[in-house]
Amino acid sequence: MEPVLQVRGLHAAYRKNKVLDDVTFEVAPGTLTAIIGPNGAGKSTLLKTMLELHPRLAGEVRFFGTAYRNAKLKVGYVPQRGSVDWDFPTDALDVVLMGLYGRIGWLKRPGRRHRELALEALGKMGMEGFAKRQISELSGGQQQRVFLARALVQDADLYLLDEPLAGVDAATERAIMEMLRTLRAAGKTVMVVHHDLQTVEDYFDHVLMLNRTVIAHGPTTEIFTQDTIARTYGGWLRRKERVTG
Amino acid sequence: MTGLTHNALWVLASMLMLGTAAGLAGCFAYWKRQSLMSDALAHAALPGVVIGFAILGFKSLPVMLLGAAASALLGAWAVTAIRAHSRVKEDTAMGIILSVFFGLGIMLLTMVNRMPGGGQSGLNGFIFGQAAAMVRQDMRTMTAVAAVVLLVVLISFKEWKLYLFDPAFARGIGLSGRLMEAAYLTLLVVIIVIGIQAVGVILMAALLIIPAVSARYWTNAFGTMLALSALFGGGAGVAGTYVSTLGDGWPTGPFIVIAAAGIFLLSLVFGRRKGLFVKAMQRREQKRRLELRAVRRDALAEGEAMS
Amino acid sequence: MFKQRISKSTGQAFALLAAMLMLVACGSGAGGGAEGGAGSAGADGSGADGAIRVVTTIAQIAEPLSVIGGDRVQVTSLMGPGVDPHLYQASQSDIRKLGSADIIFYSGLHLEANMLRAFEEIGKRRPVLAVGEAIAKDRLLTDATGAVDPHVWFDIDLWKEALGAAVEELKKLSPDDAELFEANKRDYFAKMDELKEEAVRKMASVPKERRVLVTAHDAFGYFGRMLDLEVVGLQGLSTEDEIGLSDIERTIDLLVERRVPAVFVESSINPKSIEAVIEGAKERGATVRLGGELFSDAMGGAGTVEGTYLGMFRHNVDTIFEALSGEG
Repeated sequence: MEPVLQVRGLHAAYRKNKVLDDVTFEVAPGTLTAIIGPNGAGKSTLLKTMLELHPRLAGEVRFFGTAYRNAKLKVGYVPQRGSVDWDFPTDALDVVLMGLYGRIGWLKRPGRRHRELALEALGKMGMEGFAKRQISELSGGQQQRVFLARALVQDADLYLLDEPLAGVDAATERAIMEMLRTLRAAGKTVMVVHHDLQTVEDYFDHVLMLNRTVIAHGPTTEIFTQDTIARTYGGWLRRKERVTG
Repeated sequence: MTGLTHNALWVLASMLMLGTAAGLAGCFAYWKRQSLMSDALAHAALPGVVIGFAILGFKSLPVMLLGAAASALLGAWAVTAIRAHSRVKEDTAMGIILSVFFGLGIMLLTMVNRMPGGGQSGLNGFIFGQAAAMVRQDMRTMTAVAAVVLLVVLISFKEWKLYLFDPAFARGIGLSGRLMEAAYLTLLVVIIVIGIQAVGVILMAALLIIPAVSARYWTNAFGTMLALSALFGGGAGVAGTYVSTLGDGWPTGPFIVIAAAGIFLLSLVFGRRKGLFVKAMQRREQKRRLELRAVRRDALAEGEAMS
Repeated sequence: MFKQRISKSTGQAFALLAAMLMLVACGSGAGGGAEGGAGSAGADGSGADGAIRVVTTIAQIAEPLSVIGGDRVQVTSLMGPGVDPHLYQASQSDIRKLGSADIIFYSGLHLEANMLRAFEEIGKRRPVLAVGEAIAKDRLLTDATGAVDPHVWFDIDLWKEALGAAVEELKKLSPDDAELFEANKRDYFAKMDELKEEAVRKMASVPKERRVLVTAHDAFGYFGRMLDLEVVGLQGLSTEDEIGLSDIERTIDLLVERRVPAVFVESSINPKSIEAVIEGAKERGATVRLGGELFSDAMGGAGTVEGTYLGMFRHNVDTIFEALSGEG
C-alpha cells in the first residue's frame, strides 16, 4: 500500500538551533501514530514544517505521493490550542465552519448545507449543544473538541494533531480518543503529537520517537521499549526517575 | 438641525464618513493588537514628508502626502517584519518603528533646515489638518474611503474573521496570509494618511481606537462589533462636530474626541457584555440566588427538626 | 533559513539603530542653524580679525545687525530663515555656538519659548539681551488671555527700539567701532522709516471697511496697528491651537459684511483653514480670493530679497495692498 506520508532527510531550525536533523520516515494508511519525545525535540516543528508553516532547510515531504499543495484538501491539521486568541468574538459553530472555507470558496457566504455539516461535526465531538456558545466561555476540553470538529468537517484522509490531549479533562480525552479510533476504523490515518508516555501503549498502534532525529519508528508493541525510551529521552527521564523513584 | 452653515454641513458629512471608516478599520487593528498603529504611522510618515519637500524644494501637499504614505507603509511593513522574525511584541515593535523613523525624519528635517532655500518652516506639522477646515472635496474623499472600506469588509468578511482569529489555519487551507496582511496594511495606511491630513494625528488615533474598544463592551459577535464600531465612530464624528458649533471658539477636533470618550464611558458602564453596571447587576442576582438557597436550606432543616 | 539565522541579530541591530537615532534626534533638536547674513566673514570661531561674534535666534534680528555691523561683526543665526521660532529647540551645536559667541541677542517675549533655559544658562557666562524686552511695556500688544504678542518686528518703530538696544550693546563691546555702528544704524533706520511711510501711504488708500487682514493665525497684530489695518486671525497667537467651526463662521461673517476681497496664507502654516473660509464665503455669494502668501514667523530664503528684513516687510505690504485694493 502506498504510504500516506513520506518524509526524507528533513532539516529545520528554530532561530539558531537545529530542531530537525535528517528526519526520515514513512506512514502507512489506517494507522494511529503517536509522535513522542522530550521538550524541544522538534515534534511541533515537524508538523509545521511538513505543512509548510515553518521554513524547511532541506529534505522532501510527500503527501499521498505528491507535494503538499496538491494534497491540501486531504490533510486536516489541528494546531495547539494555545496558538489562537480564544477571546475572539465568535461562536463554536463559526469556528467549525472555518474548516469549510476552502470548500465554500473565497468571497462567498456559507450556505445552509455548510452549516449542517458543521453542526454534524460538532455533534461527533459531543458539542452540538454548544454551537452558539462563545468560544471564550468554553473550557479547555471543549475548545479542543471544537478544534477537532473543525478538522473533521474538512473530511480529510490524514489528520495531524498537535498535543490534543494536553490540559483536557478525562471525559474530553476519552471522547477525542474514541473519535480518533473511529477515524482509523474508517481507513483514515492519524498522527498525534503526544505528551504522556503512560498512555502511548493504550492509545496508539504506532509510535514515532523523535529527538531532533528519528530514534525509532514502528508498531508500538515492537519498538516502544525501555531501550528506545531511554535513547529518546536521554538524561531527561533518568533525572525524572531520580526525583520520583 | 436648522441654522447649520455650509462649512458645518461639510464637516458633519466628512466626519460621519471618516468616523465610520475609522471605526471599521479600528476593529481590524484592535484584533491585530495594533491599535496604536495610527500614532506609530503618523510618526513614521515624517521622513517621507521631508523627502517629498526636499525633492521639490517647496511645499506641495500632494507630493508630501505621497511621501508620507510611502514612508508609513514602509514603517507598517517593518512592524510586521519585526513581529514575524523576532520575539519582539506588537507594542515594542511599533515603538521601535515610531522612534527609528521619527528620529530619521528629525535628522532629515535638520539637514533640510540648513538648506539655503526658504519655506522649511512648519514642515513637520504641515500635513496635519484640522477637522473644522474640511470642505466639499473632503466630503467626497471621505465618502469614497468609507465606501471602499465597507466594500472590502463585506466582500471578504469570513476571510477577515479567519485571518484575525487563526492565521496559521488560514494559511493551511490556502488563504494567503501575505495577501490579507498586504490588504490590511494598505487599508490602514490609506485611512491613516488621509485621516491625518484632514483632521490631524490625535483625532485620527482617537477614532481608530475608541469606537472599536467601546463596541467590545456590547457584543460577542465579530460582525456586530464591526457594525457598532462603525456606528460609534460616525456618531462621535457627528455629535462632536455639532456640539462644537454651539459655543464660541470651541475647537471641533477636540470635541469629537470628547464625544468618542463619552461613548466609551457609557459603554464601559452600561455595555451589555462587560459593562460595570451589568456586572454589578449580575453579581446582585447571584447573591440573591445564594441567599434564597440558604433560606430554603434553613427552612427545610427546621421543617425536619419539627417533624 | 537565511531569515532565521539573521532574525536575532536583526532584532539587535534594530534596537541599536533605534538607540542611535533617538540620541541623534535628541541631540539635533527640531532644526539647525544658518550662517551669516550680508556682513559675516570668515569661518566660525575666528574673530581673530576683531570682528564681534554675534549669535542671534531669528533672522529678523540677524539680518539687520549684519547690515548695521558690516564686517565689524560676524553674525550667526541659530534659526534659518524658514524656521518656526515658537517650536524651536536648541541643539548641542546651538549651545556650542552660544558658548563661543561674544554676545547673544534673542527676541524674547516668549517667542523662543523652548529656549529660555538655554539663555538663562548662557547668560551667566556671556552677555545676553532679549531685544524685544527692551521695548517699553505699554507699547506692547496683549491678547484676550493677557499673553504678550511677541511679533514685535512687524512694528517698524518698535523694532527700531529693539535693534537700537542691540546696537548699544555692540558699541559697548567694541567702542572703537561705535561711530561706524551709529552711522550705519542711522542709514538703516532711514530706510526703515522710508518703508514705513510707503506702507502707511499705501494702506491708507484702501477703503476703510475693506482694510481687513485675515490670516490663519494671529501674527500680525503690530502690523495692523501700525498701518491701521484690522487684523483677524483664525487661530490664536500660537501655532498650537486648533480652530472650531465658530471661528470659521465668524470670519466668513466679517468677510461678507465688509466685502473684503482677499484673505492670506502664511508660508509656515497649512493653508487648509483659510481655504475653508474661502469656500464657505463662496457659498454665501461672496467671492474672496487668496491674496497671496505672507511671511509671519519666518522670512524668505537666504540670499533672496525676501530673506532680508526690509525685503520681507515690503513683500508683505505689497501683497496685502495689491490684493485688498484690487478688484473690489
